[in-house]
Amino acid sequence: MSTTAGYLARRAGQKERVRLLYRRALKDTLNWAVHRHLFYQDASDLRDKFEANRNVENLDVIDRLIDDAEAQQRNFQHPDPYIVPWAPGGTKFTRNPPPPEGIEIIYNYGKED
Amino acid sequence: MAAAALRPAILRHIRLSATTVTPLAAAAAAAQPHALARWLGRPMSSHADHLTHDEVVGRVLDVLKSHPKVDPSKVTPEAHFEKDLGLDSLDTVEVVMAIEEEFKLEIPDMEADKIDSLPLAIEYVANHPMAG
Repeated sequence: MSTTAGYLARRAGQKERVRLLYRRALKDTLNWAVHRHLFYQDASDLRDKFEANRNVENLDVIDRLIDDAEAQQRNFQHPDPYIVPWAPGGTKFTRNPPPPEGIEIIYNYGKED
Repeated sequence: MAAAALRPAILRHIRLSATTVTPLAAAAAAAQPHALARWLGRPMSSHADHLTHDEVVGRVLDVLKSHPKVDPSKVTPEAHFEKDLGLDSLDTVEVVMAIEEEFKLEIPDMEADKIDSLPLAIEYVANHPMAG
C-alpha cells in the first residue's frame, strides 16, 4: 500500500515537472522565434520531442530524461526573453505609476487662479 | 481663405458611398467573423476600461475553439480541459499559454499550472487587473 502511494506521489511530481518544463520550453521557443510562422514549426518539433518519451514506464528512466531535458532547457535559454511590459523586468515596470489616492494633478501649468 | 472657397467646389465633385466597407474587409469578415469583429470592436490601447465578464468569457471560448485539438462544439464555459475537451496535460499547457497571449498576461508558472478548466481560466483573467 505504501509503495503504491509512494509510486503515485512520485509519478505526480514527475508529471508536474514535465508540465512546467514544457511551459518554460514553449515560452523559450517563442522567444527564439523571430516570426510567428517560425514559431509554429519549432513548437511542433518541441512537442514531438516530448511525445517521443510518452510511453516510458520506468520511474528512474523518467527522472533521468527530465533531468536531461531541464539541463538542456537551461543551457539554451534566451538571454533577452519577451516580458509583458507591466511585469517585473518589462519595459513599463514601475514606469509612470499612478499617483497616490487623494493627489490631484493640475494640468493648466502656471495659469492657476 | 482659399481653402475655404475650394472646399465646396471639391465637395460638389466627390461622391462617397455611405457605407465605407471595402471589398477586402468584407471578404475578411466573411472568412473570419470572430477575428475581425473582435479586432474592430477592441480599443487599440492596452489600458482602456477593464474587461467585462462577458467579453472575457467570449474571448476565452474563442481561444479554445481555435485550438486544433479541440472540437468547437464541445466548448462551454463550464468545460474541463482534460475531462470534457479531451486534451492531455501538455495541450493544457499550450491552451493556458494561448489564453495568456490573448489577454497580454504573464501568469506565473505555478499559477498557470493550476488552471485546468475553463471556469478557472475565466476567473483568473476576469480578476486580473492588467488583462487587456
